[in-house]
Amino acid sequence: MNTTHHYNRRDFMKIAGTAAAGLAFSSFPTSAFAAGKRDKELNILCWEGYNSDNVLNPFRKMHKGLSLKAESGTDDPSMINKLRAGEIKVWDLINLNQCWARQQMWGEKLIKPIDKKRFEPYIEKMMPMFYNKTMGINPFALSPDGKELIGMMQRFGPMNFVINTKKISIKAAEEAGLPLFLDPKMKGKYGLLAWDNWNVMHMCLTAGFSPYKMHTPAEVELFKKTAQTLFANAKMISGDPAQLNQALINGEIDAIYSGGTYTCSVARKEGFSEVYHISPLKGPLEGGKGSLQWFEVTSVVNNPDVSPLAEDFLEYVQRPDICHTVAMADASHNPVTQMSQPEVFSKFKKEELNCFQWETLEADMTRSVDYQVVPDNDLLTSIYNEAKRTREG
Amino acid sequence: MSVRTPKKTREFGPGFFGALASSPFGLLMLFGFVAPLLCVVWFGFMPPKTFELLQVPTLQNYEVIFNQTYFKSILWSLGLAAVTVAILLVICYPLAFALAKIFKGGASFVTYAIATSLFVSENIRLFGWVIGFMKNGVVGGTLAKLLGVQVDSLLYNVPVIILGMVYVYLPFMLFPLTLGVKMVPDQVREAAFDLGANRWQVFKKIDLPLSMPGVLIGSLLVFVLSVGAISEAKILGGQKVVTIASDIESEFTYAQNWPLGSALSTLFIALTAIVVFFALGRFDLEKLLGKKSNE
Repeated sequence: MNTTHHYNRRDFMKIAGTAAAGLAFSSFPTSAFAAGKRDKELNILCWEGYNSDNVLNPFRKMHKGLSLKAESGTDDPSMINKLRAGEIKVWDLINLNQCWARQQMWGEKLIKPIDKKRFEPYIEKMMPMFYNKTMGINPFALSPDGKELIGMMQRFGPMNFVINTKKISIKAAEEAGLPLFLDPKMKGKYGLLAWDNWNVMHMCLTAGFSPYKMHTPAEVELFKKTAQTLFANAKMISGDPAQLNQALINGEIDAIYSGGTYTCSVARKEGFSEVYHISPLKGPLEGGKGSLQWFEVTSVVNNPDVSPLAEDFLEYVQRPDICHTVAMADASHNPVTQMSQPEVFSKFKKEELNCFQWETLEADMTRSVDYQVVPDNDLLTSIYNEAKRTREG
Repeated sequence: MSVRTPKKTREFGPGFFGALASSPFGLLMLFGFVAPLLCVVWFGFMPPKTFELLQVPTLQNYEVIFNQTYFKSILWSLGLAAVTVAILLVICYPLAFALAKIFKGGASFVTYAIATSLFVSENIRLFGWVIGFMKNGVVGGTLAKLLGVQVDSLLYNVPVIILGMVYVYLPFMLFPLTLGVKMVPDQVREAAFDLGANRWQVFKKIDLPLSMPGVLIGSLLVFVLSVGAISEAKILGGQKVVTIASDIESEFTYAQNWPLGSALSTLFIALTAIVVFFALGRFDLEKLLGKKSNE
């Protein structure tokens, strides 16, 4: 019996060709061959937290053989751009701040409605600002005509600015609000968190008018001067809250312009309770308010071949243990809308509640207005970028 | 007697097989490099704030660029890259000389040590510098402890951005330079010394001209990489300056203005290409590499 082969070039080409074809087939994404059968695949585009293994692994165990991919974004518009760029066929769920689902993605048909009957019982148990009998479901989770449920709400928090309480008193900061940063004494004593969307809104508030309207030329000019002053007087600018918190703790800066319980919770959890988020007492927003707040809405992407597990995942994160896991995810700690339920609330330890300033959270949220899309954002962002580029300090 | 002529078969010359062999690379370049680049160039002519490629072309984005202060970011990027190249040439030439001519077995160790730094993500290495230079960090804390000297933060200024760039791009200058210096024949240097040249004359007349391919390739590599640098200005510089790469990123993300981002990218690619081709035009690489004789 001949056990040896003498390979010639033709044999080699045949084998190489077969191997290459085999490799090519095996490396194709499963979706390419399983069109219409994506019951073993789920792709989530989200803010960090939902992509951590302690959130995802229990769901993986529930669905053996599931390919569950979660990618964290760094800002809302970039994540929406992914869908616009054709990734609508890739993702099943998208998790963004409240305004984007209703004000952009719904209109552009990037997301689809979710089963109202299935999820309404969960929403009815949420905290009063997300569901109450007078208002019903918070409008940001509904389509503009109020008929369709377009996502589920979970993490939330106020977002204004952060101080070191060893350097600035909470009371003084709450009284002064964002104009505190225009005080000449603050020159070189604060860092600027380069989350441009938030900064544009906060700079409007600092200048003394609401961001959520079309602005007059005089207001635009005032916005420009405010932006120039804030950039010129900032000691540092960073897109990384951890870097700014570190500077706040080691005394390089006394405050952070744009920040929330979201950005300071990890430092507070580590014991640096002097890192403190401030919700201003008053300001130019409706009802004389001066504070902004966000909450996330997770929507089902209008994927032509959406995974049947997309809504299952939305239901899974309503479980009390998973609510706690989502709230205490690695990169940031945040309250969740389900904390009105005793079985969820009881899972939080005292220091966990303290890290997102639970004691004052209700008061903070009461004096806050929802994060919305700014009508003349293009103009203001352009001025903002110009001020950053021509920064002199 | 009849002569049998061989049956005429279609002949494939070496050119055909060469083209066939290079086709995978050609296709990769076409679809992976040329096509996306053309998309970016074309997108720069689409109306601002749109996401469709098939619209009536416009010059609006370029008007915005020329009416605003993007030139500052471009100048910062070009300036920082030029300074980085200059500093790295001064730092790396002696080290390259030592690696090529002086260190024997030690050269491999130094090479591996420097190359190993590339295995760690650039951002992580830069955050290492942040820990070193921040207020009460490794440098400040050590000085305070040992000498009682209080040092404020050394971060968030232009020199620290340049330091970061020099550190990150050092291997990209060092290795081509080392190869360049290795090309200098020892006999030529020895002959120059025998004929009475001093060290400076040998460097100027022998070492530098003959190692010029390494100098040129290292400089171009570092320039092209550092002109698009973004992390150093952000992490170490606290965005003390805004580079053009940062502006482009901003347009593609927060501003949601892909056409403006594309126009900025196109303009910047064109500017970088002009600088690079100008530099290449000054030196004949073929001649420097000895593939072309002096005419």
